[in-house]
Amino acid sequence: MAAAFVSSEGKLLGWCANSAISAENLSFVAETCRVIMSANRAEQRAAHTGIVTFGNRTLVFREAEAGLFMVYLDSPTNEAVLQWLFAQVNPLLESEGIKLEIN
Amino acid sequence: MLRQGLILTAHRDYAQAMRVGLLGLGNEKTRIDIELDALRAMQLVPQQYDLIVLDMMLDAMDGLQLLLLMKQQAPSTKFVIVGETQDETSRAHAYQNGANLFLKRPRGPAAIKKTIEEIGHLVKEDGTTAASGEEEPMVQIIDVVQTRCLSGDSALLTVRGAHQSGDIFIYRGEVFHAQYPGKSGEGAFYEMCHWDGGLVRVKTAKLGHVPPRTIETSYQKLLTRAKNLGPLALDDSRPATGELRIVTGEAAPGLPVPNVALEAPPLQEPEAQAPAVDGTSASPFLDQGETPLPQVNAHWKVNLMGELVEGSQLADSQRAAFITYFFYRKLADVAVALEVDYFNHMTLLGSHLQQVLVADNLGIRHAVFDAPWATEAQREQYVKWCCEQSF
Repeated sequence: MAAAFVSSEGKLLGWCANSAISAENLSFVAETCRVIMSANRAEQRAAHTGIVTFGNRTLVFREAEAGLFMVYLDSPTNEAVLQWLFAQVNPLLESEGIKLEIN
Repeated sequence: MLRQGLILTAHRDYAQAMRVGLLGLGNEKTRIDIELDALRAMQLVPQQYDLIVLDMMLDAMDGLQLLLLMKQQAPSTKFVIVGETQDETSRAHAYQNGANLFLKRPRGPAAIKKTIEEIGHLVKEDGTTAASGEEEPMVQIIDVVQTRCLSGDSALLTVRGAHQSGDIFIYRGEVFHAQYPGKSGEGAFYEMCHWDGGLVRVKTAKLGHVPPRTIETSYQKLLTRAKNLGPLALDDSRPATGELRIVTGEAAPGLPVPNVALEAPPLQEPEAQAPAVDGTSASPFLDQGETPLPQVNAHWKVNLMGELVEGSQLADSQRAAFITYFFYRKLADVAVALEVDYFNHMTLLGSHLQQVLVADNLGIRHAVFDAPWATEAQREQYVKWCCEQSF
């Protein structure tokens, strides 16, 4: 339904949405995800990927050095779906010079 | 002299008659509030009152229990308990809990007059009152709230207007709750901002606990709306329900409405828990459904007030509760931005640890797994286990 990439400085570098979600809202959601990841690091429980389910909808976000990628799906997910998803996304981001590698 | 009093009762006519009588014990500045809702009364700040007259039996709770709680908070306030009868057991119980006077409910003007006289003697016994002292300067509520929110404070603002008083609860830089007798929530906040043309006396105290949350709007928007809304528009724009509610839980269907949703299980102290060979928990109290608890590093539960209600293998329980509640608040914001119901669960995958948060109507469960050993099946098992615990 929507996807966005936010730089490590919190700047919305790119986004797309096929629904009524505005760029401002996407930016806000991405920033909130960054805050969650940051809080996790502070707790010594660093994470690279987050999956949040809202009924049948799923928000997936992954944070790397370059920034945070976020995708909002109109379906549930599992590990296989996530693997497939990032297999599609990573080359696209890399073509734009963004590496979403997990340390 | 009586300066500020509160009548807490479920009987409206009696309250009005008593109010008129009590006003006669003070001067033109004396203010007597009436609160008909015992649950809402629990959120009031008793220290601001010289005198509190409360029924022995209230609709939603035992007045004597409420007396005990209030007396602890406001030891110098005078408390008058009003019972339907004057039996010795009730009288003893009332005085034991901190009442200064125990009276039978007056019926009729003559009885009310006599009751007021008795209360008058009580008030005169001690000229110095709880609320007396240096008067705070007149200020704009909006300015005080803005300053407190900008500094990220947690504060309780006791607001006194010419005719009424109320409280605004600010928690970590956000307005969580506002109330005055008869009204609470966002509507109450807007109304209070326009009391006496906006100029009131505000007393600030440090807030040491998480208040109930009836206001979800950010303080910036709240203050902008308060400024834009004229005092005349207020009554038409918002219904004065005066009911406390769990805003964050409203998205979930079937949520009960009580204003405090403490779940029954008591806090479990951290205890040594040997991992079972089959990968399930060895702790019997944790396995109440068909699904066993998978092997976890630690797990805990917080209620919708952010308080830890259950935990196992926790090194720092306060910190654990704080971080879970923090995620909960953040995900509530995300749900609002995405225009969806509240989140069901969140999984956080890390190189060394994995975490699963599961929300239900009464709280959030949080588990930490060792990443090398945790599988998708185990995480799903934890979610299933949580769902079974909720029932």
